[in-house]
Amino acid sequence: MYRHIKQPELLPYGKIREDLFRPLSGLTRKYLFAIIAPILVILIGGYAWATQLRYGMGVTGLQRPVFWGFYIVDFVFWIGISHAGTLISAILRLTDAGWRKPITRAAEAITVFALMIGGMFPIIHLGRAWYFYWLMPYPNSRLLWPNFRSPLLWDLTAICAYVTGSVIFLYLPLIPDMAQLAEHNTPWRAKLYHVLSLGWTGSDTEWHALERAMKLMAGIILAVAISVHTIVAWDFAMAIAPMWHSTIFGPYFVVGAIFSGLAGLMIVMAAIRKLMGLELYLTRHHFNNLAKLLLLMSILWLYFTMAEHLTVWYGNDPSEMVVFGARTRARFSTLFWLMVFVNFVVPFVLLGIRRLRNITTGVIASVGILFGMFLERYIIVVPTLSNPRLPAASSTSYAPSWVEIAITAATFAGMIVLYLIFSKLFPIIAVWEFKPHPHEDEI
Amino acid sequence: MASTMYLLSEFRDKEAVAGAIHSLRASGVGDSDIDLFSEEPVEFKRGVLDRPSQMSLAAVLGAIVLGGAATAFVRFAQYNYAVNTGGMPTFSFWGTGVITYEMTMLGAVLATFVFFLWESGLIRKRDKTAPVPVVPPECICLRVRCVSGDVVKPTAILQESGAISVEKKAPL
Amino acid sequence: MAHRWGMAIDLDRCTGCEACVAACHAENNISISTPEQAATGRTTHWIRVDRYYEGTFPDVKVKYMPVLCQQCDEAPCEPVCPTYATYHNPEGLNVQVYNRCVGTFYCANNCPYTVRYFNWFDPVWPEPMQLQHNPDVAVRMAGVMEKCTFCIQRIKRGKDEAATAGQPVADGDIQPACVQSCPAEAMVFGDLNDPESKVSRMAESSRATRLLEELGTKPKVFYLERGR
Repeated sequence: MYRHIKQPELLPYGKIREDLFRPLSGLTRKYLFAIIAPILVILIGGYAWATQLRYGMGVTGLQRPVFWGFYIVDFVFWIGISHAGTLISAILRLTDAGWRKPITRAAEAITVFALMIGGMFPIIHLGRAWYFYWLMPYPNSRLLWPNFRSPLLWDLTAICAYVTGSVIFLYLPLIPDMAQLAEHNTPWRAKLYHVLSLGWTGSDTEWHALERAMKLMAGIILAVAISVHTIVAWDFAMAIAPMWHSTIFGPYFVVGAIFSGLAGLMIVMAAIRKLMGLELYLTRHHFNNLAKLLLLMSILWLYFTMAEHLTVWYGNDPSEMVVFGARTRARFSTLFWLMVFVNFVVPFVLLGIRRLRNITTGVIASVGILFGMFLERYIIVVPTLSNPRLPAASSTSYAPSWVEIAITAATFAGMIVLYLIFSKLFPIIAVWEFKPHPHEDEI
Repeated sequence: MASTMYLLSEFRDKEAVAGAIHSLRASGVGDSDIDLFSEEPVEFKRGVLDRPSQMSLAAVLGAIVLGGAATAFVRFAQYNYAVNTGGMPTFSFWGTGVITYEMTMLGAVLATFVFFLWESGLIRKRDKTAPVPVVPPECICLRVRCVSGDVVKPTAILQESGAISVEKKAPL
Repeated sequence: MAHRWGMAIDLDRCTGCEACVAACHAENNISISTPEQAATGRTTHWIRVDRYYEGTFPDVKVKYMPVLCQQCDEAPCEPVCPTYATYHNPEGLNVQVYNRCVGTFYCANNCPYTVRYFNWFDPVWPEPMQLQHNPDVAVRMAGVMEKCTFCIQRIKRGKDEAATAGQPVADGDIQPACVQSCPAEAMVFGDLNDPESKVSRMAESSRATRLLEELGTKPKVFYLERGR
């Protein structure tokens, strides 16, 4: 009865499939440039890491007492970005929000890649990184085990569980699409897709199993995601350093993660919409909903930031007040207020005022938010470490060195490269899921 | 010996398919002899073509098993290499509860995935002789397996229910 | 009864001469930093003398406080190490196992006294200082955390010599390098489990206090200061 309205869901199935499969074939010059530039950045980052492995952590800007710096900021940042997929895919799937459908795969891909990148930093930041495997429990000749009381071991288990879950969560809905792709493709690709699709035939048994599995996975992955960022937060909260030892860190980091993840998602969505010609599928409606969610998370982020700082200021603990002053009034104040500006003020204006809310302003706000959330992690890590409890040991001179900056840049480049490769191998929108069922009944 | 034959039919309309399934069942065809093929999931009301599933149970069991095993292992490892760190107990459930939780979740994930592979039939030893229809766009294909080789009655039912085409196929 | 090593530092005697710092360097093969490294907080002094200035010139008062690893009984640095590179040994020492350290830095972040030091590069000594190394102490490589050990090599030697002689360890037999070198005899080291030892008696003094006690770390270095 709605056939006279030209909505993308009601386009003929063949057209949808053609539109979404088209970007997978052929390499344009634009694509090649887009992938070679980040690869160069990655190579520079690789060289930086090699330097660090050869000479020692002294090539970074780290120093006593600031023993954690850019790498840990990067780690928390990227694990935070990974919450994009979980929110969109899991939460919106559980609440049956139909507008999520063209976004889920892109979001899930962000999750997997962000986790892969973020998961590298616990290795990169090690003083003797070649021994990273000592954190894993395996039978060894020294008859010892790692220390499971350490929050770093909790990080390891959490991220392992999350990566496994996210990869499976990305893979499952990909199976029907790959079965489709196996039929219309070049020989080597057809073989690849055929193997990966496990011989999917589209029978109702398979569909039922898939839908049931997705429902279960959505709930489980949501539980895992919340715990993962809580555990990353507990790397700080379990320490007794001033302004780290706070119970608010768990929820604060989860909110911040969803916030930064959504911002990352909006940027990626806008990019693929433009670059892959998906204007019909990623409509203003989707961006509007994303923008509203982003605005909500911005307000929530502000609430948590205020709650943390107000309680510290009111409590007036001397060690904590030094850090508080460093953040808000002294050395880090510029960064702190800049963070508040780009995390709250800019999104509130650009996304809160309906007349200003559109895809462009959404992307501007999101870029600002990513920058702001990076600053937030920096402001959490460095001021506390710079102002330890014994004032004679304090320091004011941490600044990232070229090694840390190069590796950080390489991670952003890595994300771009991974995404470009992904978009060439798999349709960025789940073809089978996108079209709503005609004459949908109540189940 | 009567040989198995397959009927491949195409439908445009979901309601028609539901009707066909109903009629087929009334004539004695079992649920395991009926298969639908489509390019997207077809959702029916409860009772039309239900496939029972133990996936939720599997997920819970997998969760309990891996969570329990991980906790037991942590307890073993902490006592096996018992070292005093900061005066904390050798093993404390709350101190390593995070690991219990994560491994419980991982157990659920893995069990769900494995069970999906099993229940969907993707890794089971499949009946390779059953022909798989090529589904035209916007169509739903209904495949009936006639064990006794008698295709007259099912064909009639399918045509009455509104199938666009009905084709008889021998096993591959 | 097992030993429980502790230290007492009399701040009313300390002159801030830093002989303890130099002695510790010599005893424990600590690397020597360049001025650039000092400017960027990369020096390593397992014991350091913190200075706090009160008042303005000319009424300036300076307080000196030698700060070293407090060998906390409930050390916050120990539970957070994922590889057990730092743990509490039965004699109450917080030991650092160099070849188990992967360099996660968590212990250093969790130490409220900031007494942990990292090897940012492989250690260097200007010629001919490398000839002065103490063979009883390991030379650490880049990527490994280190800190004061209460001169565990001297404790071990003291216990071995006492065992060879068939005697219990006498109070004052074992002295870490810093304690041995203090010209004002402000530092005392001994067995806190021995109620007659000098360190136990000093620990019970009315002038005795511990650093950042309220954090519950149970440090074993007692600072004595008039006016407490």
